[in-house]
Amino acid sequence: MTWADGLPILIIAVSALTGIVIFMLPEEWHGARSSLNLGAATLKLLLVLYALTEVLAGAEFETRVAIGLGFDFVLRVDELSLLFLGLSSALWLVTTIYAIGYLEGSEHRSRFFGFFSLCVTATAGIALAGNLISFFIFYELLTLVTYPLVVHRQTQAALDAGRTYLWYTVSGGTVLFVGVVWLHVVAGSIDFVHTGGLSDVAAGRETELTIVFAVLIAGLGVKAALVPLHGWLPVAMIAPAPVSALLHAVAVVKAGAFGIVRVVYDVYGLELAAALGVLGPLAGIAALTIIYGSLRALVQDDLKKRLAYSTVSQISYITLGVAMFGVTATIGGLVHLVHQGLMKITLFLAAGNFSECLGVHKVSEMHGIGRRMPVSMVAFTLGALGMIGFPPLAGFISKWYLAVGGAEAEAYWVVAVLLASTVLNIAYFLPILYVAWFRPAASELRPRADTRLEASGMLLAPPAIAAGAALAAGLFAAAPGSPLDIAQHIATLMYRER
Amino acid sequence: MIWLAIITAPLLAAALLMFRASRAWAIRFVIPLSTAPALVVALFASDDLQAQLDWLLLGTHFGFGEWGRVMLLLTALLWTTAGVYASSYVSDARRVRFFIFFALSACGNLGIAVSQDLASFYLFFALMTFSAYGLIVHNGDPEAYRAGRIYLVAAVFGEVLLLAALVLLATEMEALVIADARAAAAQSSLRDVIMACAFLGFGVKAGAALVHFWLPLAHPVAPTPASAVLSGAMIKAGLLGWLHFLPLGEMAHGAWAAVLLGAGGLAAFGAAAIGLAQRDAKTVLAYSSVSQMGVITAALGIAFIDPSAWPLIAPAVAALALNHALAKGALFLGVGIAQRASQAFARKAVLGALTLATLTIAGAPWTAGALAKHALKSASSSLDSAPALAFALSLSSIATAALLVHFLARIAREPAEESSLRRGLLTPWLLLTAAAALLAPLAAWVVPSGLEIRELHTWSALWPVATGAAVYAAGSYALHGRRMQIPPGDVVVLLEGFVRRAAILLGKVPVLRPAAWQIDLVHYMEALAASEARRDFSRRADLRFMRWSNAGLAFACMVLVFAATMLI
Repeated sequence: MTWADGLPILIIAVSALTGIVIFMLPEEWHGARSSLNLGAATLKLLLVLYALTEVLAGAEFETRVAIGLGFDFVLRVDELSLLFLGLSSALWLVTTIYAIGYLEGSEHRSRFFGFFSLCVTATAGIALAGNLISFFIFYELLTLVTYPLVVHRQTQAALDAGRTYLWYTVSGGTVLFVGVVWLHVVAGSIDFVHTGGLSDVAAGRETELTIVFAVLIAGLGVKAALVPLHGWLPVAMIAPAPVSALLHAVAVVKAGAFGIVRVVYDVYGLELAAALGVLGPLAGIAALTIIYGSLRALVQDDLKKRLAYSTVSQISYITLGVAMFGVTATIGGLVHLVHQGLMKITLFLAAGNFSECLGVHKVSEMHGIGRRMPVSMVAFTLGALGMIGFPPLAGFISKWYLAVGGAEAEAYWVVAVLLASTVLNIAYFLPILYVAWFRPAASELRPRADTRLEASGMLLAPPAIAAGAALAAGLFAAAPGSPLDIAQHIATLMYRER
Repeated sequence: MIWLAIITAPLLAAALLMFRASRAWAIRFVIPLSTAPALVVALFASDDLQAQLDWLLLGTHFGFGEWGRVMLLLTALLWTTAGVYASSYVSDARRVRFFIFFALSACGNLGIAVSQDLASFYLFFALMTFSAYGLIVHNGDPEAYRAGRIYLVAAVFGEVLLLAALVLLATEMEALVIADARAAAAQSSLRDVIMACAFLGFGVKAGAALVHFWLPLAHPVAPTPASAVLSGAMIKAGLLGWLHFLPLGEMAHGAWAAVLLGAGGLAAFGAAAIGLAQRDAKTVLAYSSVSQMGVITAALGIAFIDPSAWPLIAPAVAALALNHALAKGALFLGVGIAQRASQAFARKAVLGALTLATLTIAGAPWTAGALAKHALKSASSSLDSAPALAFALSLSSIATAALLVHFLARIAREPAEESSLRRGLLTPWLLLTAAAALLAPLAAWVVPSGLEIRELHTWSALWPVATGAAVYAAGSYALHGRRMQIPPGDVVVLLEGFVRRAAILLGKVPVLRPAAWQIDLVHYMEALAASEARRDFSRRADLRFMRWSNAGLAFACMVLVFAATMLI
């Protein structure tokens, strides 16, 4: 085994070992645990950056182990996995800093950070999986290790939410498993290939493959929160803020969306999927979810619930981009994978600050909060404007590519859906910004006279960094190395040769 | 780099406002001066000064293009004078917020003038649109919030249509540069959709008939310097959008000509009529802006009758826009001056200067207004309908003159609120008034065509203005002070009722119920788990595995199967 073969394993092992060591550390060793967490997160980010430069230069990293029944366990670093891996490792570092600050002085931190690391392990595995069965293993692992994070507070409400979360995700996992096995029976073990590995075996089995596609999407659709399978997401926001942030930005929801990306591009291939006629219905479900999520977000007063329904809507932008045949739409879908993560984590971390520092959970309690917590609220504002698609933030780039892609494919209804969604985004985000900046403050939210920071640096830096990244990703979208640049590179691979 | 510098200068000024230490001098010196570099560039930079920043947004182009110089000139001049004025005028507790939004809108407005690609144009347009909200609601009373709300609704409507137009255009274009946009719009299979979206989308900002309703509410309610830039400069951003994206001079199209001429005529005369029924001086001015933009809209319509006339119409449009911007800015700033001039002599002097500015808008002889209207008449002289158009233009001058006399009458009647004329207020106002008055000799230099002021027939410019003033005098004498009242914003009253009803309907949509359209897996699964049959099955299974032999056998089988799979 050479160094190149081991790199994917190493990337996964960094966070897995961190998790295991943290479980064994005594609860009160806070300093050691924090250093270990931050060190591992930094190390992993460096490894991913190294892999990124190597892969862009043409190198390949792959680990392959036979696990029986004709299945291979494959971990591979390709451009698409790096897109997701880069996002998750960067945001892991940011969220870890936040979580250390957020949970200061609370109980069960050893358990929390242990599972937190395992959660990131599973996410890395999902990014690196080189075929469906490897993907499935990490996908299920993710379900199990996020449960303790969701119920972390151990209140009755948290336990109820955890139960709902498990019912949905385990059922989804079961359906996905059926799809994975069925596909294995039909086509044998096939690796992820950018133009689709199934096209050689497709002749004469179109009906079967169509059904398998539906089963796979139904399984993945639970985590990706496609309507009507989204019921768990607004409930799971009971989790602590850093967990919600991670769940909505990189881990669970994004894993579902990433699975859909893999199935459409790398298992079926766009050509085959278009020939089977499955892209239209997928785009339809995505469009329905986009509108529905926004409509529901409109009527929520609870800030985190409003953000959760916004996630339901925004994640389906990715699915919508994937489900359209055309390079521009593909770029839009892929780049939103990163952009949504940056913007959503900003929003959740800022919302966490409002609840942690001031006990504000509802939009109706946010009157005048902008002057009391200016840094958090500026970050929140940038995240919200990005979600709306306000230039030059990252969301504008996604929306632009998706809409132009829709128009290029002459699917003008896609443009209409995106514009309608923009109006709805404005309708549920601008009122928050309005009360925060323009309404007089409620008495307990009066600006303080002293010049101390509004919260500890560990709570302020992460949302500020994430907001800055969301701004930079949009403002410098055309620069080399930006998420858009990488997405453009990947998108050309999906269409090459055919 | 010079482009980035002039656009980001207001942003840097806004950044200084965030810190307590630099706040006071940032408001006094930095904010007013932050738009001055743009003014210098507009006056002295060479025509081929361009920049292409491939790394910014989707690849950004800056340059003057066809319209950049005149737009940058009027924008920078208005923002600079309004900035100086505002630093003396706005002094309440919320002034930091005001100046942050002031700087952000200035950045957007300057950027619009010199941006030469679709994405950055949209960026600056959106930045200006949404930052202006902070200016409109600054006073913080219910009236301001109502105007702000209506403004936002209209603005969002406009932004979405405009995004649709840009997206549909982008599919037709190789490089997303504005220089290609008009041709792309003319050739698109969706030409009429693009044109409709662009006309309405930018029309919201430009105060086009029927989407103008926010303007008579929002422009007057903002603090006076903000009113000046809203009505003078920002309204021209909508016009610039039309000039960039409507296929002017590319094609003849009877229906679009009718739409533009109709909308322009409706705005020019309708707004003047409604404006005559207003009491508040600033509201009168806002309606006058709608009316003047109507004249410009109609001028664009002529280009769809005869595209070959466009090269002659374009400079006339530029002159109309520049003239209106400077004079309207001077008038709005003047309202604030009149409110502070209490001595009899000072009031007379202020009224005199205001009259000068109204004369240039109405197109009295030797003003830029007359020059522009004359250019418009001669541009359309080859058309069959030229006499009718010329007559309509004279009629609109009559209406304008009547409306502006009404404005002067309202100003003369309103008593001064306080006596505090500071130099910081007077200097920018006098400068702007002088610029508007001296525009005619300068226009030949700024506007790229050989317009000659000597060509003007004094009489043809004089009679509509005189008639308008006479009509107003006769009318107000006949009415004896009885006048019709039309609420500011006119059609907005209908719109508010519609929105209220729509909100009630939306509350009844079943999709908005908590569990709508959701598969309640928890419910089904737990019902299944609790059902008799399942409990019975698992109990029997448990009992069977209670026997060691069965359990052992099952375990052995599992080990075998597992080993077998490893071997395959």
